[in-house]
Amino acid sequence: MSEYSVVGKSVPRVDALDKVTGAAQYGADVHRPGMLYGKIVRSKHPHAYIRGIDTSEAEKLPGVRAIVTQADVKTGRSVFATDKVLYVGEPIAAVAATDPDIAEEAAELVKIDYEELPVVQDVLEAIKPSTPRLHNDDTKDGPARRVIKARLKKLSDDESQDHSAEIEELTAKFESLEDEVYYNISAETHTEAGDVEKGFAESDIVVEDTYVVPRVHQTYMEPHVSIAEADSSGKVTVWASTQGPFAIRSGVAGTLGIPLTQINVIPTTMGGGFGGRFGVALTHVPAVLLSQKTGRPVRVQMTREEEFVDGRPAPGCVIKLKTGATNDGRILARQALAFWDSGSVSGASIGSTIRVRGVYKIPNLKVDAYGVYTNKSGTTAYRAPGTPQVAYAGESQLDEIARKIGMDGVEFRLKNMREEGDQIPAGAKEPKVGYKETLKAVADAAGWWNREKGPNQGWGVAIGDWTNGCGPGGIYISVHEDGSVRIFHGSIDITGTDTAIAQIVAEVLTVPYEQVTITRGDTDSAPYATGSGGSVVTFTMGNTAKLAAEDTCQRILALAAERLNTSADNLELKDGKVSVLVQDPPRSISLGELAAYSLSTTGGPIVGKGSFARKPSTPALAAQIAKVEVDPETGNVRVLKMVSSQDVGFAINPMAVEGQIEGGTVQGYAWAMMEEMQYDEKGNVNPGFVDYRVPTSADLPTVQSVIVEVPAPNGPFGAKGVGEPPITPTLATMANAVVDAIGVRITELPIKPEKVIDALKQNGK
Amino acid sequence: MNKHPVSLTVNGDQYDLLIEPRKTLLATLRDTIGLTGSKEGCSTGDCGACTVIIDGKAITSCLMLAVSANGKEITTIEGLSSNGHLHPLQQGFIEKGGYQCGFCTPGFIMASKAYLDEIPNPTEAELRHALGGNICRCTGYTKIIEAVMSAAEAMRNA
Repeated sequence: MSEYSVVGKSVPRVDALDKVTGAAQYGADVHRPGMLYGKIVRSKHPHAYIRGIDTSEAEKLPGVRAIVTQADVKTGRSVFATDKVLYVGEPIAAVAATDPDIAEEAAELVKIDYEELPVVQDVLEAIKPSTPRLHNDDTKDGPARRVIKARLKKLSDDESQDHSAEIEELTAKFESLEDEVYYNISAETHTEAGDVEKGFAESDIVVEDTYVVPRVHQTYMEPHVSIAEADSSGKVTVWASTQGPFAIRSGVAGTLGIPLTQINVIPTTMGGGFGGRFGVALTHVPAVLLSQKTGRPVRVQMTREEEFVDGRPAPGCVIKLKTGATNDGRILARQALAFWDSGSVSGASIGSTIRVRGVYKIPNLKVDAYGVYTNKSGTTAYRAPGTPQVAYAGESQLDEIARKIGMDGVEFRLKNMREEGDQIPAGAKEPKVGYKETLKAVADAAGWWNREKGPNQGWGVAIGDWTNGCGPGGIYISVHEDGSVRIFHGSIDITGTDTAIAQIVAEVLTVPYEQVTITRGDTDSAPYATGSGGSVVTFTMGNTAKLAAEDTCQRILALAAERLNTSADNLELKDGKVSVLVQDPPRSISLGELAAYSLSTTGGPIVGKGSFARKPSTPALAAQIAKVEVDPETGNVRVLKMVSSQDVGFAINPMAVEGQIEGGTVQGYAWAMMEEMQYDEKGNVNPGFVDYRVPTSADLPTVQSVIVEVPAPNGPFGAKGVGEPPITPTLATMANAVVDAIGVRITELPIKPEKVIDALKQNGK
Repeated sequence: MNKHPVSLTVNGDQYDLLIEPRKTLLATLRDTIGLTGSKEGCSTGDCGACTVIIDGKAITSCLMLAVSANGKEITTIEGLSSNGHLHPLQQGFIEKGGYQCGFCTPGFIMASKAYLDEIPNPTEAELRHALGGNICRCTGYTKIIEAVMSAAEAMRNA
């Protein structure tokens, strides 16, 4: 039995009625009087010089009110392409018209004169000297050249001895490593712990493979949209469907040189983000520019096709991975070389390459990662950015080793998992975590220990780790004379975080959940709140809510002490009323009575506030087991069972937490089996749901979620962020299950039926 | 562009409109009539977020021109609850946590209603197949299926 009365319960969400009746107002549901409709003019070529932009025909179309290009961006910050385009879909101009169809027609009438350039879409091609450069001729050194370079520097700095012979030898070797001169590099990271060469030498078994993970789209169901309204005083209002209204405010301010105080971002209900809805470039900035130019409200709404060509998806990745272990199942060394497909700009996820270490005691680790420019749109975060890609490689390779040494996959992982106090490779000491509990929980729930399989069936296990982010937030609470409690804040709820906040406040103030309401402010009215990404909200805003409720509680007790003529420490807040602890006969006052009383005192209304910056988070594990059946005729892989466990610290709303686990698992399943943004020399070739398949209810069975609770010391009531972890293992879970079924490992995702057929042929079946 | 007279009955209310022939029923519902509960997720009939019910059938309103809907009776998500009472499907989605961001929810509820009105007692597998025209990106479908199954039971017992 829980010691709590509101947290830990699956109460219905605070926004339930709006969401099931169609009343919730999403971005495109905002309609302003006199509103115009914007449309972006996009590049039709993946790589080309722009020799001219002619807007004259478009301007003549009745109903067109304005066309903006880079010339309209007074700050000079890059909003539209001017002399060169780097991908199909890149914005070149934007049109505003009185009707969305007229805007679309006008956008097509803008004539762009292109001079086409050679195109590069593959990361391993893009790094070669022979390929077209997107930005410049700069080069970076590969891992072996870096090692030699460092050694050379050391030798030449050492004046105590003559190293000229070695220097000459190393220099020759350095120069001979021509294929390690990388072009089109957007970013690089390098991490090392221990000595991998020594670790591999001591290993009984070393496995090396290259894993390829495709670029996938977050595919939030609501396409990007923005409504901007610039008034004659220069004040700009932006209705934004976004994960971070305050990030939109600063982004628009910075891009267009508008003072923060002159921008108000009004967040709408948001139709999914998964990391992809923080930026201002796609719709917000063009909408503001068009509104400033026309003096009218302007809505810019992307189509699904535009989402695919100019969204900011998750990067694909090529990972060369090598792992060494002993025959008794101890992992000794791991080395990774990753190339991330950044697209046209330096992008997200490369920093997560280090997560290829997993939650294992790997004493020797070396990770080299490069971001690579290609002729595609830029990338951004997607649910645990970067981790599903590297966890797929890492957990696939562990599966290979377990098979080769004949050890059970769960036992092998348990044997190598870190516990509290263990050294994290290239990191600090491990805090108290629930890694083993979480893996054991999924194994037990899935029936792993006495699993059976029929012909063409297979079982797969994998894990993934993630640590929720943290950021600043503020919350106000007021108590009203009917006893109701109102929360005011500025963070975005996607998945039920408002409900968690309301539950926390109700718990602390000992009132029924139904008595608590919550209001979201805009950036003019609400205190700052960190963006809703990085599994951050329940941790950050939950802590903030708890602080605000405790502050409110102090105010309540002080008022009650005055009213009941006793001291605050002789009072207790329980069941929504304040009672005198030591008093005969017992006396008490309800929150409503107290709130009414507060209006007639010099103290005034009951208001509490919470303000929170950051506290260390605790890592969380997700562990999954899948059972699949492969149809050898069609190559189709059917999931028979999918069990997903996660250490959530403490589930403030178990139903909402299960929803996160189920949803993340299915997104991971889709990445493993179905989704892939495909490109050729003409750009993205599958910009729609017919060719870019996402799962429907028909593709999957019920996902069984298993909640594990190892409390986080700094989380509200022990809660950890829960949104991101469940996607991290699934790519490998599925890949490992397919290997178990067909006996061949497919190292290039997604595992589409044709690849399964090829693999079966390769295996002589 | 020339406009055509279009007469629609939406959630019991009659609208006599002048509509360009290129406007979809979805655009007309949302922008002209102001019923924004039906959502635009793809504009190609693939995601089901715009699903409404016409003559008892679930229709992706982004694929139907407003002029083609002339004279039809249309039910949207806004017309589902009656006399302040939620429909069992709406109740089911709340109780089972069948939504997260909620953008696909109106489409799922309308598609489920059209289906359950015809097949009141489906198996889970049948239901999963029947709702294959609607995409949800948040829930992984487990709780949506639970919500619709529980609503089906409530509707049978009503």
